[in-house]
Amino acid sequence: MSNEQSEFAEFFRASWEPCLRAVLTVVGHPQLAEDQVAEAFERAWASWRKVRRHPAPRAWVVRTALNAGASWWRRRSRELPLADHDLTAPGDLDHGLDSSLLTALRRLSPRQREVIALRIFLDLDTDTIARQLRIEAGTVRMHLSRGVMALRRELTATNNHGG
Amino acid sequence: MNVHDDMNDTDLLTAARDRLSAMPLGSPPDVEAIMAGGRARRRRRLIPGMTGTLAVAAGAALAVTALTPASHQATRQPKPQPTVKLAAWSVTEKANGNITVIVRELADPDGLQSTLRADGVPANVTVLGHPDPSCRPYPMSQALFRSVYQADKTAASGDTVLVIDPSALPSGAGVQIGATVGPDAGGRGLHRADVNQAIHHAVHQPAHQARADNSVLRAVLVYASPQCTGG
Repeated sequence: MSNEQSEFAEFFRASWEPCLRAVLTVVGHPQLAEDQVAEAFERAWASWRKVRRHPAPRAWVVRTALNAGASWWRRRSRELPLADHDLTAPGDLDHGLDSSLLTALRRLSPRQREVIALRIFLDLDTDTIARQLRIEAGTVRMHLSRGVMALRRELTATNNHGG
Repeated sequence: MNVHDDMNDTDLLTAARDRLSAMPLGSPPDVEAIMAGGRARRRRRLIPGMTGTLAVAAGAALAVTALTPASHQATRQPKPQPTVKLAAWSVTEKANGNITVIVRELADPDGLQSTLRADGVPANVTVLGHPDPSCRPYPMSQALFRSVYQADKTAASGDTVLVIDPSALPSGAGVQIGATVGPDAGGRGLHRADVNQAIHHAVHQPAHQARADNSVLRAVLVYASPQCTGG
């Protein structure tokens, strides 16, 4: 294995889980998150000479994974996937997952989830998140504040509802 | 008073991180498979004139060979396989025997059909508007339909997650998934079904199958036979 390959392999091993958890926080489905993160790591290796010099390569992976999902969503915006929208979500899909927290996260806006994911799993500060998302630092602070507020409200409601 | 009321923002985020971190995740894919996928992407990037359609088709072809459940790899794929990842759709088998199909685009209906059959599901995958004459609709109640199929329309991504419980299939029945493949996409993707065409050619129209104008996937039951759902 070349030095470059070893370097990437080390990055992959150290970064897979935090990147996957960050993407899972945003997309809310483990299988989809795994697909998108795997694709992002493939892209990272395909462009490793660029990515390795990136100031926040894990953030690059997360953004690439989320962009892959977003591009699917844009393409599917004129499509609806299944005739029977009344079918309930199967329980086994949430097996072992914190369903109340995932439900609370799903009710945040995608941007709020994204900011929260980058903060808690990649430990990025506000300015770095702003650069990664190409938005103003003040906007990051606003999304974070509103996201936390909404998350608190949802978790409180869930707890109260659940007794 | 709730425990979350007392937390400041940092504490709340830390608690959320801890809860999310406690969720079980699957094993990471083999880094060699990731690098192989990256090399393939690099090659595609370097080949002049290769279109997105071809790239997606390649992804779908990968799915047929690479998305087999881990438990099957020992018998069907002796070499380490790339991760459960593809551009168009994926098929995985849960520990309880349920088959999860994630559809992003149905670029390769034959490949999806082969993969489902390889996973032990008597399956037929059709393109709506091109019904398979070898298939006959299986009488189906709503309860039966719901026992075989479950769907999860994931809110964030919009991808379709269809869960098939093969153990709920009556003896002699198989699954049929119909989809509309957009002709303008060169067989690349699913597109809005033509309403009349979809209804006219539907193998079976469940009573609760509303909103036909939005259908791009249609899951029904058919009589199993070698011609329709494979041996």
